[in-house]
Amino acid sequence: MDTGNIPVLTVNEDTIPRAYEKAIGEVWEKGASIRTEYDHPGDPPSRDATVIIIVRNPFGQPRFHRSFADGLGGLAEYVMEVIHGAHDYWVKPLEEILKGTKSKDTRWTYTYHGRLFEYRIEDMVVNQIGAMIDKLSKTGYTRRAQAITWNPKLDPPTEDPPCLQRVWGRLCDDGEGGYIYNMNTHWRSRDLFKAWFENVIALTTLMRKIAEEISKRTKKKVKLGRYVDISDSLHIYGSYFREIEGDRNKGIKSFFETLESRSFEERTWNSDFIKPHFINDGVGKGLRPMLEREKDMPEKVRKAIAEELRLMEEEDYVV
Amino acid sequence: MDIFEQIADEVQKGNSDSVQVLTRKALSQDISAEEILNSGLVAGMNIVSERFKNNEIFIPEVLISARSMYSGLGIIKPLLAESDVRSKGKVVIGTVKGDLHDIGKNIVAMLLQGAGFDVIDLGANVPKEKFLEFIKKEHADILGMSALLTTTMIYMKDIIEMLKSAGLRKNVKVIIGGAPVTESYAAQIDADGYAPDAASAVDLTKRLLGET
Repeated sequence: MDTGNIPVLTVNEDTIPRAYEKAIGEVWEKGASIRTEYDHPGDPPSRDATVIIIVRNPFGQPRFHRSFADGLGGLAEYVMEVIHGAHDYWVKPLEEILKGTKSKDTRWTYTYHGRLFEYRIEDMVVNQIGAMIDKLSKTGYTRRAQAITWNPKLDPPTEDPPCLQRVWGRLCDDGEGGYIYNMNTHWRSRDLFKAWFENVIALTTLMRKIAEEISKRTKKKVKLGRYVDISDSLHIYGSYFREIEGDRNKGIKSFFETLESRSFEERTWNSDFIKPHFINDGVGKGLRPMLEREKDMPEKVRKAIAEELRLMEEEDYVV
Repeated sequence: MDIFEQIADEVQKGNSDSVQVLTRKALSQDISAEEILNSGLVAGMNIVSERFKNNEIFIPEVLISARSMYSGLGIIKPLLAESDVRSKGKVVIGTVKGDLHDIGKNIVAMLLQGAGFDVIDLGANVPKEKFLEFIKKEHADILGMSALLTTTMIYMKDIIEMLKSAGLRKNVKVIIGGAPVTESYAAQIDADGYAPDAASAVDLTKRLLGET
């Protein structure tokens, strides 16, 4: 690499799993070696790059890669966290957040849903995604439909400020009387190997929700366009190198050897396979167990998740 | 392929329905629940665990196999209780108070169960009093604690100190894990061991209980 310059990489693929694999390969091969605040003593520096990832068909099948750091039910719960605020009630009170690293309260400092749908500024609570939908429904070609997460008062002093920074969307005519909804997401920092895939499943589900709502308002068909994912720092932590590199002497395969040893179909799943696992994965996670387990979830959120469950169980709904 | 190999094979593939059918078939052939457990379900999960350790399969696939193992276990569990089958050891496990992350802990719990241990999973955000209650009640051999945050891992030390005060420290081996946890931290707080990943946690448990 050009010493001192962080590489800028581009990945352009048809589906999410293809983009995910390509991005891991690119960052591993071409990324710079840089330390992070999360490294353990003795960890090698992370592999890191600024990366622009284009997914041309975000709901193209197979949509799910098999390599991510959770189960399928856990992934379903994460999607509910982002699009419906399932865990907004885990966020600590404002006075604790303001204490920064001195706070003893270990609850969360933010959720993406909280920032995107209920952004707090002065004495106002702003539904930014709602405003995006309003704006796009009225003026599809607007360049002003965006939602931010960063709070310059709350985030700099914390140990874990938001990675996602901004969601931006725009409509284009599809040439058949309808629209195509294009969406970009901008990320400050991102764990490629263990977070990117789950983030993208959630954000593309949000993309579809926005398109569906615009379609209802405008009474026009709104198709999904390309999803673009831009990270200032997309990295593979040094602590993951053991998994990426494997260990021949111990018979441990490298991540890339594992990919090569299976066909693409054998390392991915399509949405039809995933749906029953999203409902209940049989090991304690999924929408149904979540509703049973999380008794403190607000009623409004519970209803929204129950509706997702109904759609998955009764309708031809692609997860 | 005999029926045990068939069960083990379906556990690896994550076919819950087939595991249930084969488990019932084995019972109808007067095969004991203990044999089905050890030679079929546990044997299957042991292979899954080994393949996971060798980076051959991914986390969601391990969980799908665990689901299929549980589907067979659900059928034979009442029979195992009746026949008073001894497990390889009893593990009380949980994510410590203040920490709501449970993915790593869940995988460790499943692999331990798949390896034949009796696992009592207390969930996430577990206060020290609850750990103590279950260690006493269940006569646990192993206490497994997980934390994902630097702010919550310090609670592990409080729990070990509490075990000492209660006179239970010598009765139970303590293992810890989670993203911010290290070998030196384990030594510093007087834990018996640290595991950097789920498969190593199973090996560590076996080693501490003198199985390997």
